[in-house]
Amino acid sequence: MIKNLLCADFLKIKRKGFWFLTFLGPFGVVALQMVNYGVRKDYLLQQSNDEWGYYILNVSTFTPLALVLGVVILTSFMTSVENETNAWKQLIAFPVTKISVYLSKLTVLALLLFISSFLLMLFTLGFGMILELQGQIPYGKLLKHSFYPYFAVTPVLALQLWIAIVSKNQGVPIAVGVLGVILTYSAYLLPDWMIWKWPSLINEWDEPLINVLLGVGVGSLLYIIGMFDFVRRDVK
Amino acid sequence: MEYILETKELTKRFGKEEAVSKLDMKIKKGEIYGFLGPNGAGKTTTIRILLGLMKPTSGSIRIFQENLDTERISILKRVGSLVENPSYYPHLTAYENLEASRKILEVPKARIQEVLNIVGLSDVTNKKVKGFSLGMKQRLGIANSLMNNPELLILDEPTNGLDPSGIIEIRNLINRLANEAGITILISSHLLSEVDQLATTVGIINKGKLIFQDSIDVMRRYAQQSISIKVNDSEKARNMLFSNGIKTNYENGRILLPELADMEIAEAIRILVESGVSIYRVEEEKRSLEEIFLQMTREEEDD
Repeated sequence: MIKNLLCADFLKIKRKGFWFLTFLGPFGVVALQMVNYGVRKDYLLQQSNDEWGYYILNVSTFTPLALVLGVVILTSFMTSVENETNAWKQLIAFPVTKISVYLSKLTVLALLLFISSFLLMLFTLGFGMILELQGQIPYGKLLKHSFYPYFAVTPVLALQLWIAIVSKNQGVPIAVGVLGVILTYSAYLLPDWMIWKWPSLINEWDEPLINVLLGVGVGSLLYIIGMFDFVRRDVK
Repeated sequence: MEYILETKELTKRFGKEEAVSKLDMKIKKGEIYGFLGPNGAGKTTTIRILLGLMKPTSGSIRIFQENLDTERISILKRVGSLVENPSYYPHLTAYENLEASRKILEVPKARIQEVLNIVGLSDVTNKKVKGFSLGMKQRLGIANSLMNNPELLILDEPTNGLDPSGIIEIRNLINRLANEAGITILISSHLLSEVDQLATTVGIINKGKLIFQDSIDVMRRYAQQSISIKVNDSEKARNMLFSNGIKTNYENGRILLPELADMEIAEAIRILVESGVSIYRVEEEKRSLEEIFLQMTREEEDD
């Protein structure tokens, strides 16, 4: 059942700009460094002996912001596909469970974001090579900075999806989303327990893995709560 | 008698308001069941409950002799539905819209072209639904509801907002589906005239309560006839009839005779002619089903 729903959901996101956004996010993040290094490459290279490490760190400054922004826009798009003509009633009158409908939506979003993260890795690597940075390419660090934020953003994804699906007024998820983006932007100032801080991989113990594990854990919890809320509610 | 769809004391409450109240709906196999009621009577709520979109506050629903609460998936595999305004994905073509449903329903690809032919949309297969007229969207909705070869088709106001030719088109389509494919159809409407020529059974709902449920012929029997007579001297005519034991009513300058046998009417006219009253017109007045429907819903309100 879930496989069929996924196929249908991937068909429904055609021509809606989903794939373009999936590409634009990581491209934008790396493009900012293209500008940065284009303008003051010599200065930046002087900042650290570890040219690759410093470069990846620069790239990852904007990763959380792009990721949270992507989550907000994609979840909102995703629900607008069904909201536009209230296709929920048609979808749920099919022989499918509401649990699988919800899971399918989340899976599509998670896959798109995963592709984004993968593209981010490729673009980072690609531009780094073009810059002809000195030293060994730190693949471990590259992987970490591309995929850790992806896992750490799970709670935001689960929360946004929940709000977007159950809200009658799409202004609500957008408002929460905008607030989330602002919070992500000021991650340095936030306490460790705030989910919007997690994609930045910063914490008191200086151990990014904590954010990843917390993200997946709390994300799953929020996902389950949202799903049961969706199942409980009458369809509009 | 086995019913394809049967509800028992179905009730749905929104806060304090009872949208559907102790509804006992019974639909036999092969019927076209016209589900009638004014706007806001609880038709759509009932249909949403029947499709599992809403949970009833109390009461039970059996479809195909199975409990909807526990066997929802297996029941819905055999049900097609169109609820209120058609739902579609405007950025997709007609074909892609049906393809999205096909993937979920796991029916062969050929079915898409079949249903498009049935509803007469085969020439716009690859056009985006965005540009469709309301009638075309409605037909696409019906095509969608036919994808899984349903045994029971639930259509909520399928002719809402259509022009007269669109209404006739949909009506013919529904007739064909019932007669040729033998599908049992539940069709709701707020206009009796729409289901008058379709339905074999009628259920009338008002303020959440089912106030009538029987064959359309029984409903037609409510359509009492009366004879109206126009004469030059109504006063005299009425007195003459009364003295001969025929009670009449007087309305808008016409004498109204209640339902009488042919011979009694002949008798009444003979009396009038013999008494020298000039008879201008003798007409049969038939109450339309629409009037009965209105009267039924009004009586309920007076209670």
